[in-house]
Amino acid sequence: MNNISVDTLIKVIVLTPFVGGLLAFIGGKIHRWIRFLIAIVFSFASVFETFMLYNVSIGNIHWGSLFGSELVFQTNPITWLFLFIVTGMSALIVLFSIGDMEEDKMKLDSYYMHLLFVEGAMAGIVLAGDLITFFIFWEIMSWTSYFLVIYGGKKSLDAGYKYIIMSVIGAYAMFIAMALLYGKAHSLVYADVANVLATSSPSFTIWVVVLLAIGLFVKAAVMPLHTWLPDAHSEAPSPVSPLLSGVLIKMGAYGLFIVLYAFLTVNLAGKIMPKVFSTPVLLYIIQWLAGLSIVLATFLAIMQEDAKRLLAYSSISQIGYVVLGIATATSLGVAGGLFHALNHAIFKGLLFLAVGSVIYRTGTRNLSELGGLVKKMPFTFVALLVGIIALAGVPPMSGFVSKWMIYEALLQKKEVFLLIMAFVGSTGAFLYVYRLVHSIFLGQLPQKYENVKDVPIIMQIPMWVLAILTMVFGVMPGIAMDVIVKGIEFFGFKPIAYTLYGFPAGTAMGSLKVINIVSVLMIAFIASWIFFLLFSKTRKVSQYDNYAAGQVVTPELKYNYSFGFYMSFGRVIKPIFKWSIERVYNYWVDACKIFGDYYMRRVYTGNLGTYNSYILIVVTIAAAAILLGGKLW
Amino acid sequence: MEKMTEEQVRTIANMLRKRSLWMIHYCTGCGAMELPPTMTSRYDMERFGMSPYVTPRQCDILLVTGYLNVKTLRRLITVYEQMLDPKYVIGFGSCTLNGGVYWDSYAVIKRLDRYIPVDVYIAGCMPRPEAVMSAFKHLMELIDSGKANGYKLYKKNLAYYKENQRKVLG
Amino acid sequence: MVIEKVLMAVGAPLIAFAIGLSFIMLKRKVVPRIQRRYGPPVIQPIYDVLKLLLKEENISHGIIFSLGPIIAVAGSILAVFFIPMGGWNMLSGSADLIALLYIMAIGSLGMALGAGDSANPNASIGISRALTLMFGYDLPLVIIVISVALYYNTTSLPDIIAAQAHGNWTAWALPLAAIVGFIVVYGALGEHPFDIITAPHEVATGPMVEYGGKHLGLLMINHAFHIYLEIALFVDLFLGGGSNLLEFYVKMFVVFFIMIFFDSVFPRFRIDDAVRFYWKWPAIIALVNLVIVLVR
Repeated sequence: MNNISVDTLIKVIVLTPFVGGLLAFIGGKIHRWIRFLIAIVFSFASVFETFMLYNVSIGNIHWGSLFGSELVFQTNPITWLFLFIVTGMSALIVLFSIGDMEEDKMKLDSYYMHLLFVEGAMAGIVLAGDLITFFIFWEIMSWTSYFLVIYGGKKSLDAGYKYIIMSVIGAYAMFIAMALLYGKAHSLVYADVANVLATSSPSFTIWVVVLLAIGLFVKAAVMPLHTWLPDAHSEAPSPVSPLLSGVLIKMGAYGLFIVLYAFLTVNLAGKIMPKVFSTPVLLYIIQWLAGLSIVLATFLAIMQEDAKRLLAYSSISQIGYVVLGIATATSLGVAGGLFHALNHAIFKGLLFLAVGSVIYRTGTRNLSELGGLVKKMPFTFVALLVGIIALAGVPPMSGFVSKWMIYEALLQKKEVFLLIMAFVGSTGAFLYVYRLVHSIFLGQLPQKYENVKDVPIIMQIPMWVLAILTMVFGVMPGIAMDVIVKGIEFFGFKPIAYTLYGFPAGTAMGSLKVINIVSVLMIAFIASWIFFLLFSKTRKVSQYDNYAAGQVVTPELKYNYSFGFYMSFGRVIKPIFKWSIERVYNYWVDACKIFGDYYMRRVYTGNLGTYNSYILIVVTIAAAAILLGGKLW
Repeated sequence: MEKMTEEQVRTIANMLRKRSLWMIHYCTGCGAMELPPTMTSRYDMERFGMSPYVTPRQCDILLVTGYLNVKTLRRLITVYEQMLDPKYVIGFGSCTLNGGVYWDSYAVIKRLDRYIPVDVYIAGCMPRPEAVMSAFKHLMELIDSGKANGYKLYKKNLAYYKENQRKVLG
Repeated sequence: MVIEKVLMAVGAPLIAFAIGLSFIMLKRKVVPRIQRRYGPPVIQPIYDVLKLLLKEENISHGIIFSLGPIIAVAGSILAVFFIPMGGWNMLSGSADLIALLYIMAIGSLGMALGAGDSANPNASIGISRALTLMFGYDLPLVIIVISVALYYNTTSLPDIIAAQAHGNWTAWALPLAAIVGFIVVYGALGEHPFDIITAPHEVATGPMVEYGGKHLGLLMINHAFHIYLEIALFVDLFLGGGSNLLEFYVKMFVVFFIMIFFDSVFPRFRIDDAVRFYWKWPAIIALVNLVIVLVR
């Protein structure tokens, strides 16, 4: 579109959700339908604007200045990818919220405002061109999402508290890094930062990168900084969990990508650090943290009894894949990591929305109470099934291609232990994914859910859109690879060869052509179905006409294996659960409290004389500093 | 491809069924003691294609081994109705014929035939494995000639069977 | 050209089914001989499957229940096309070794869905144990697959087979990996130390508990395909595939024959013992092998 310059377009994209949020808040006071309408209009407007921004790479769009450093926006294909995720998911979540959040249970005036503000903040993060803009929008995102989390009920207050405290600590780490950089460079635009890092001492560079990484990893929930995630994601209300788990976490991954490849380019990392398995040491440590994240989170997810906590632990595991892919400094690995970020947003959003629908209809999310809902909620079942196949990484859905790319990249670099951990995490995903679908939808239907119907249309539309997107990206990954390969070329990686349906030989150590797999599967399925239908017909029996060694199964009997589904596996991995990071943090908190209590009583003695002497001492020191400051240093 | 008539299909089906009968491993009473010798190496039953399976959904023959209480009869009828057609019942031991050693007990069913249709009876208070195998052979001959249709009788005379069951079970 | 492709498309699953069926028949005859009795006639499995398919009445608990065996058979037929079968590399160019591990999982996941709809806790326990066992044997399996891929520096199966021509099989070059692979195939097939999945005495045949009639017939057909798939993968990776069908069959025959002997003497592991077993010695041996390959 030539009549709107890219300049204005970017500023409009960042501003639209904020304006929409404010209008929704004001309009909601008048009547709630106005609020819904404004929310839908503005979120879909953002999607439309994102599409207009396709295929544009430009930097340095000036919008202000602060402390002598310019504030700029920029865009490149990777930004476009994340912008697509942000605006698309937000639009779908707004649709779902309209159906799910009910008016009489809680005051919803500011819910839509915060939802749109979070969207705006995330758009600002990915469009940021310098660190101050990044940080401003990062903080806006943190506290608006905190307000969203605490809509969930009583337990969500504690969960939100833990979330905001850890986010703030991470943000302080980032702030220290920014202060160090500002001291050296006096400007925080990405290009200037990259120049400064290229010409400073290795220890300075490593310090800056580590501090930034700590701040980003708190948000991206890489172990050991992940303890806020299970509580926050499971206690948040149903439409907010997909936003948190699908999109917010990716901001940490995007930040890591920018830090590693816009500031500290790959060549630089190789020069200042020794290499292990042809990877710079810092990147290797990040990969190991991600690998541990994958395996341990999978083990924890297998043992869960609560549907949303299971999905939250699974998010930790999948974001481990993304970070693992990004920290592999080869084009195939980075492309795989970014593609997995896109896929994870889609299928995790789908899963959380499906579980949210079940909670909406049945009121519980405890897996041992549900069961047999496939007869009553078939559409939700199909949506959950598509999400599950994608999460497990099985063809023909999209999780398979991105995981394949990450595995191939690791194999090319001969980092075999990480590859083993990634594989083990993926096989473990079969386990908890099956637990989810079995305990909710298969099995015996308890009597109290006899009258459950499926969710209304407005809540089904987001699930359909996400399911179709998953299938499209699974069969034709070339569509997403277009954007991703252009993006990684922009940051200096070599492009990788790909076709619409897969990867030809030579890119990786093997070749892949998904369309063959999918078409043969369809043909084999139809063939065996025809074979099945050739013989005598089946008749349907009720779920109570079941094998129980002769005993008649009645509705009062709980004939469902729902609690402790993987108890035998739990016995195998029990030694791992003896230590947990949460206990370490609690010890640290208790130690600080004891330390603080001891010294607090010493300082705030309540004695007026002591306070007077404090004032005298501080005034003397301040006067001395002002009068003698110039002479002493 | 020539079209096969009903007769030919049924002949082939009967031939298949008699060659691979699966019995349910459901030990009702003390007569079940004679099943392990029949199954194991000495009087090998598996050479006729018969083998024990676990659930009523998977098998063809219900072996009612021994005496039947009223309590067990209730479970047995559930198991019988859960089996898939075509199914055959073999009454094992004298207790299913006329009560056996429990002929004047108040708690034991005297004639099994009133409650489930039975195809073959085996007499004896524990029949030896040779008798069991000759009964199986007799059942196979019945299947071949098309006379082993206890399951069809059950469906036809359902009212009669249900009436008897209700009288006993309450 | 098209006729050839169609012939291959129809013929390959049939040949795979025939090979798997011949192995089941072999087992039904050898195991009774070990137990000092005559077994059933050799073509007994065909009688069994046909009798099940021709049952006059079938029951079902819902659509997903009926779809379970269908997806299982479809998944197995799908995987047949991606493993080179004695000189025929059918679609192996489209999916390499890593993708093959996932493709072989499609069938069992479909089966798990169907069995879960049985509304019977025996089936659910069976599936939970089957998945846990899969998790257990996947660790050594992944380690040896990676070591083979690293050793030949490629993950495409036809290339691996071509590199093993003229008798320098992987089994001589990486003997530890071959041993661990042999143990892993046991778990994958559900043979006797690890047949916790369908333990008739414990869990009432696990996932198959509510299946009867033609569903069970389809499951037996799936079992035949599954035997073919696992042993064909082992032969392709470690014993050099086969340049023609006869050589391929002979190698598979020898492998399966040795397996029958181990199968008939072992009792059953408990499920957590099975997982602990897989994660201890086979994993350690496979890791040793991997380090050897890396260092070389």
